[in-house]
Amino acid sequence: MGGELRRTHFYAFHVGRARMGEFAGFEMPIWYEGIIPEHMAVREAVGVFDVSHMGRVAVEGPDAEALLNYVLTSDISSLRPGRSSYSLMCNERGGIIDDVVVLRRSDDAFLLVVNAANRSKDLRWLVEHARGRDVAIRDLSDDVAMMAVQGPKARNVIEPLCDKPISGLKWHSFTDARISGTEVLVARMGYTGEDGFEIYIWDAPLDRPEKALRIWDAVLEAGRDFGIRPCGLGARDTLRLEAGFRLYGADIDESTTPFEAGLSFAVDLGKEDFVGREVLLKEAEKGPDKVLVCLKLVEKGVPRHGYKVLGTDGREAGWVTSGTFSPLLRRGIAMAYVRPELSGPGTELLVDLRGRRARAVVVEPPFYDPARYGRKRRAGM
Amino acid sequence: MKAGEYEVPEGLYYTREHEWAKVLPDGTVLMGITDYAQKKLHEIVNIELPEVGAEVSQMEAFASVDSVKATSEIYAPVSGTVVEVNEELLDRPELLNQDPYGEGWIAKIKPRSREGLEEELRALMTAEQYANYIRGLEG
Repeated sequence: MGGELRRTHFYAFHVGRARMGEFAGFEMPIWYEGIIPEHMAVREAVGVFDVSHMGRVAVEGPDAEALLNYVLTSDISSLRPGRSSYSLMCNERGGIIDDVVVLRRSDDAFLLVVNAANRSKDLRWLVEHARGRDVAIRDLSDDVAMMAVQGPKARNVIEPLCDKPISGLKWHSFTDARISGTEVLVARMGYTGEDGFEIYIWDAPLDRPEKALRIWDAVLEAGRDFGIRPCGLGARDTLRLEAGFRLYGADIDESTTPFEAGLSFAVDLGKEDFVGREVLLKEAEKGPDKVLVCLKLVEKGVPRHGYKVLGTDGREAGWVTSGTFSPLLRRGIAMAYVRPELSGPGTELLVDLRGRRARAVVVEPPFYDPARYGRKRRAGM
Repeated sequence: MKAGEYEVPEGLYYTREHEWAKVLPDGTVLMGITDYAQKKLHEIVNIELPEVGAEVSQMEAFASVDSVKATSEIYAPVSGTVVEVNEELLDRPELLNQDPYGEGWIAKIKPRSREGLEEELRALMTAEQYANYIRGLEG
């Protein structure tokens, strides 16, 4: 590592407008006006994020499905073209190498979206397991730009920009489309808990970012009447945490398993062979040693990564993996690993905030009221 | 005076960790964080205040503030006893952003002795020195 930070296609927009910071080797916008107004714009209207720092990897060929079914924990054979799915890449010990989104473009063409920090590690792992298979693996990250448009008004912003209707897209489906003459892929998904879309801009090399920037500007223009805001990684983190989504490197890594992390929905132990299956089968039987829970502070204070969690008896119970101030709840919220017997919703715990012990309670995600916020909110609210 | 966009009032003493200290006529020392600090922290949402009666040493971490993203330590600019804290900040931490040298004051410290205080103040920066210091940080 070391040396210069990488920049995304949208750097020319961010610089001078945003407080910039380092993330996974990239120079990224942390906030423009502030994390709180950007967060609230996404919960109440719409926001746009540069997510081009994430890795985009094409996996194509007759053996593409077989390779992905072997290196990922979920059943890829049942994923239909035009649909996407959250999945995990595990090592032989069941530890999580990365959490990914797989988009199936056709029977033998997939697009994998991976975490920025894991790009080269994932590529090596894929190439290693592709030996002897008829499959091509290509890193498209520098040639495809990617942005996320998130919030209850995202649909109203994207629909008129596309050359075809996209409102009918189901959650985790996608379509090819054109925005101002440029070929894009529009996928209904996101990392905020809200309705939203990710736009993948094809044929957009990093050294010729004009095309990507034109679409960014078009989205901001189309969103003006809806109160759209450009949003930085600060709001992306508070939004995902309020929604209860895990962050690789903080909540999950190679020392945690899908069962510990509460991600068993992404594991299909029924499919025949995949990396990590044996260990995960055993763990499914005996239960995990630690469990990731969502914690809401019931008094003031802001938990942070690494803080200790204690039982009400003062005994050590675990540690915080992610913590922040929730702009919506106006309270400290966190994710933490705790002993399994302390993981039930309603369990009272203490978080050691540098010496002061603050009371907290285990809650089911999301942290917000799903009738009022999030993509399943009741219409009219 | 100003250093770029940052207010640096004269007559105060400053730490390298961006606290200010003001010697009051009764010999106690009022302290808080600087305009530079509040602009860098942005959106302050919580403060952990020291306890009244606590004994602190110069540059000891004795409080902390939370922005949305991070927790930052606050250091005592002088040694002494904490005799008052600004409890208004518990309900309105945004005062630290809005008025860092006024309503956003954090604590009042009673130094152990006048001589000791004078020696400690010599280790702090004047407004002019602090203005140069933050200009240097901005590079």
